[in-house]
Amino acid sequence: MSYSISLTVNGDQRRVELDDPRVTLLDLLRERLDLTGTKKGCDRGQCGACTVLVDGRRVNSCLSLAVTLDGADITTIEGLADGDTLHPVQAAFIEHDGFQCGYCTPGQIMSAVGLISEGHAGEDPERVREGMSGNLCRCAAYHGITEAVIDATRRMAETSERKSA
Amino acid sequence: MDVVSPASLSQALALHAEGDSRFCAGGTALQLDWAKGLAKPARLINLARISELKRIEQSDSLARIGALATLAALLETSNLPGTHPLFHAALQQVAGPSIRNRVTLGGNMMGRTGCLLPALLVLRTKVQWLTHTGGLTGSVQDLLTASASKGILTRIDIDAQHPGERWLFRKIGLRAAFTPSVINVAARLLLGDRNEILEARLAVGGGIVPPARLPEAEVLLTGRPIETIDWAQVHDCLMATIEAPADAFRSSEYRRKVAANAFVHGLGGDLPGRRTFPVQTPPQPLDRPAGELALSRSARPEAWHQRPDVAPKVAGKLAYLTDARQPDMLVGRILRAGLPHARILSIDTSAAEALPGVMAVVTHRDIKGSNAFGIVVQDQPALCFDKVRYAGDAVAAVAAVDAETAERALSLIKVEYEALAPVTDPEAALLHDAPRIHESGNLQRELHFARGDVEKGFRRAAHIVEKIYVTPRQMHGFMETEGGYAFVDDHETLHMFAGGQHGARDCLQLSRILAIPEDKIRVVTSPTGGAFGGKDELTVQPALALLALKSRKPVRLQLSRAESMLAGQKRNPMSIRMKTAIDSEGRLVAQQVEVLAEAGAYASLGPGVLETALEHAAGPYNIENVRTHGRIAYTNNGVCGAFRGFGANQMTYAIECQMDKLARLCGLTASEIRQRNLRKPGMTGYLGQRVAPTERADEMLAAASHSPLWSLPQGLQPDGEWIIGTGLALNYQGNGLGSAVPDPAGGRISLSRHGSIEGGFGLDELGQGLLTLVKTTVANELGCGREDVEPVIGDTARAPDSGSTTASRGSYVVWASTKLAAPEFSRQMRAAAGCILERDPDTLALGKGGFFERGTNSGEILLRYRQLAEQLDDKDLPSVTVAYEFPKNEYTGGNARLIFAFGAALARVAISRVTGEVRVLDLHQHTAAGPVMDLAAYLGQIEGGALQGLGFTLTEDAPMRDGHYLTSNLDTYMLPGIQDAPQRMQSFALESLADGDIYGPRGVGELGIGAVTPAIANAVFAAIGHLPTVTPIPPETILAALEER
Ligand code: FES
Ligand code: FES
Repeated sequence: MSYSISLTVNGDQRRVELDDPRVTLLDLLRERLDLTGTKKGCDRGQCGACTVLVDGRRVNSCLSLAVTLDGADITTIEGLADGDTLHPVQAAFIEHDGFQCGYCTPGQIMSAVGLISEGHAGEDPERVREGMSGNLCRCAAYHGITEAVIDATRRMAETSERKSA
Repeated sequence: MDVVSPASLSQALALHAEGDSRFCAGGTALQLDWAKGLAKPARLINLARISELKRIEQSDSLARIGALATLAALLETSNLPGTHPLFHAALQQVAGPSIRNRVTLGGNMMGRTGCLLPALLVLRTKVQWLTHTGGLTGSVQDLLTASASKGILTRIDIDAQHPGERWLFRKIGLRAAFTPSVINVAARLLLGDRNEILEARLAVGGGIVPPARLPEAEVLLTGRPIETIDWAQVHDCLMATIEAPADAFRSSEYRRKVAANAFVHGLGGDLPGRRTFPVQTPPQPLDRPAGELALSRSARPEAWHQRPDVAPKVAGKLAYLTDARQPDMLVGRILRAGLPHARILSIDTSAAEALPGVMAVVTHRDIKGSNAFGIVVQDQPALCFDKVRYAGDAVAAVAAVDAETAERALSLIKVEYEALAPVTDPEAALLHDAPRIHESGNLQRELHFARGDVEKGFRRAAHIVEKIYVTPRQMHGFMETEGGYAFVDDHETLHMFAGGQHGARDCLQLSRILAIPEDKIRVVTSPTGGAFGGKDELTVQPALALLALKSRKPVRLQLSRAESMLAGQKRNPMSIRMKTAIDSEGRLVAQQVEVLAEAGAYASLGPGVLETALEHAAGPYNIENVRTHGRIAYTNNGVCGAFRGFGANQMTYAIECQMDKLARLCGLTASEIRQRNLRKPGMTGYLGQRVAPTERADEMLAAASHSPLWSLPQGLQPDGEWIIGTGLALNYQGNGLGSAVPDPAGGRISLSRHGSIEGGFGLDELGQGLLTLVKTTVANELGCGREDVEPVIGDTARAPDSGSTTASRGSYVVWASTKLAAPEFSRQMRAAAGCILERDPDTLALGKGGFFERGTNSGEILLRYRQLAEQLDDKDLPSVTVAYEFPKNEYTGGNARLIFAFGAALARVAISRVTGEVRVLDLHQHTAAGPVMDLAAYLGQIEGGALQGLGFTLTEDAPMRDGHYLTSNLDTYMLPGIQDAPQRMQSFALESLADGDIYGPRGVGELGIGAVTPAIANAVFAAIGHLPTVTPIPPETILAALEER
């Protein structure tokens, strides 16, 4: 039996045929849509490397069955920047050296974007750490990650203040 | 399997009535259940479209929650922390934030093991569910016992808590956050006007603990004024009545005890029978070394460089070798033995080969060269032929059109085994009647070293400390598991793209296995998503190569996390018996060390790890009389090998703890005893070898003695739970492979066709910042701009062999090669430019973008590098390749290093009297490793090393039983998360080198890990008088130490 779902991925609407209903969103992205920016570190919801936004909220794509996402709007790391302009979180990760090998980075960045839009961590380092606790980094760039998220939160708040002013 | 998404509850029920099906809500548990081998139902009924089930209504007295409300939605319900604080606290402890966006309350409850159940049991909770016969209402208890799985859980109503009630929710886990539950506790005490307990509700649950109320303890509490409660009696009752099973990670007793502690402490009682501890005197400050730099970007902005590969990294566009996808690419899979020790009787691949879509099946029969590899000892088969020696041994491999076909093909390969008794303990492996894992016997290597007269030394001793330190089977845990792709080109060259740490050696090893000349194999090893030593040995390359050669198609292959755990290397577990003596003045007089290390099934670099451990047996101290004996034994427990620290960190743990214990015995402080025994400049190395002139242990100790951490609060904290202590440890780490093994190094600087200045090194970017280092070093040395330099690395076709990216040697190799090559390269460049400009080359200088007139500040570029390249034939492009041995001494009595880097770590830790957990609050690291070439990379290495050391000390181990891992993924293998990282970390660098030291920057890849473990252990010792000698430190032992009367 085959399933047809429609997804918006990084702004593009796509129809996706699934021959197997067990395909996770992660495998769909990496193996069928060639979007390998989203990483697989564990395939069990334990590392956060696969974090993407589904309808604006961060989720572990390895735990989400693609068939259950008909009509969803997906943003992956590849779709985060606005053309050549980096998303403030991407820029902050560069600024604060929030990575080493970079393999966890797409997940960290997507998780941070989700965290900031959830809006309850603010600039308190301990709450940021709590909010980023689902994303492991074996290189242990945690210090830079925390600083990057705080910095991006601040900048994004400033920009939105300026916009609303 | 069929998936349906009904729009209404009645439809969902009707579909369910048709037979074998399962409801799913957020769906997060499905993958996990399936991974555990739970059967897949014929039909999955996705409830996501039934929006009425997502509603949340909340008033001051009640929360009505649709079963499909996500935990995140609940956490965002504005008043919940006010009306339902316990429930809110519990929600925050479930899984991680992204998972909570998908997990539904109903799903979590129906899982029966959910973290929330104890909370719901103590709250007044009513649940509703719908079955074919109609709606039912009941308690959480009813839901747990009834055959409610026949229906759909629809609504959960939770009464608000009373103002002024006393409540508690706590999740005890295996690490600070995002952890599986060891046990969760929830409690509410409703108090009357005179503080008498009107009602007590207590429950446990979480993980493997069955969710349950605790009626006996509730009775003990109810009806009495809270001040008169006999908490010791309550504690005993809880210990007796909580039901909690054991697993491989925590005992039943531990679970019961921490739950009882958490209840008693959390509800305001005293923990029974606890010792108190005097606060330790801090060390007196020594002379602070001059010129130590506190590492931060602002400290030296010009030395902080963005990594050249940042842009693709943050865009998700960096092409990791496991990311390659091409339409005609096959997918490879490896068949693992599954048995720890067995003889292979036959391998039949015919059914797999016949499966449509299978393009190649390979076994040992396809190996044309020597079916044995290993960096030091070639004892590991590429594909097993006579025996399997560990459960992850590779037996066959398949390439097919897709992953599903490849996996199906694996299941069709028939291997007949005759099981052999597994050897699962290194001690047992060395008994004379132990089954032989290899023909040569189970003792892989034995090493002896002695100096002076140990017996005489011990006779002079005023104090002797003898302890056995036991260290774990730590996993590298790189986020990118082992993998890559391979293909054969039209010229019959095999291209191997797979994460690694020494392309040239991978090439050599493959050449031996495949019987293909090395110049017909190209190995690309960068970029790699983390390695830490775990990709130094061959991983998937042999299977991948055989599949590409046989299928004649590009093949990709990446291990799943579970396969990586099963098949990949770990740190060699060690037990170190150390006996150390001091005289009455606190001077070390004798030391005897006995090490038993586990190699696992194959040697790999294990013998080197043992050697390195023994080379660091005296720490940075001078001990006249020493005797060391080390053995490393084969077992059928997985495979082990290189891992950051390479044995030195294990040994540092032992010696540095001995020092603190001895200090306590003779009444000296941690710095006094060390100061009396430190190595002095001009001394030979531990083995008697010549060493580089820079000695910095003294300065590291002095810097650490000044740490502000000593003046922060210590001792029992006002909350009555946490006891704080601070500890220090020194370390030093040898660089390079040592005197006994070849350690060739080299590099190339050349002008590329496009006019960039290439720094060519056969080293790998693993995240340590090699690219930055190459740019900085070459630019500094030549005077050109950083942007003129293009690093060319990790590709045997494009860069010369530089040796391995291990042993903290990369920084030196880049620096030294550049120093060696730069003058000649600069001469060639200027000569070529002079020719074109018709000027004397000596009047030219290399600068940013091109050639300038030497000695002027005109700023005018006379000729751009690009212009020069355009005017030269390929053969005339300037290029200088250098090759040399990594600096070493002449020592032949063993493997001894010449160059060392020095460090000190200070850890301020908090120890929980409730759970026995140890948390690192502050970590300061002082380092002396020569000039800092790049601040960001240096800091990253020190902090990264520290966190791996922290994991080694507190949470990381891959336990085994009967030759099988007891953990198969990151759900039970506890890598430190962001909240395990110390809240405050600070690193320092002392850059100066001694006069006449020609060895430049030391590598810091391993320095950061070395002193962390003993610093933490010594901090625990300072706080509670108990010195942990096993890592990861079992919290049970901490609790036991706290309870000793
Ligand atoms: S791959 Fe999804 S959480 Fe690890
Ligand atoms: S940067 Fe390597 S895992 Fe995070």
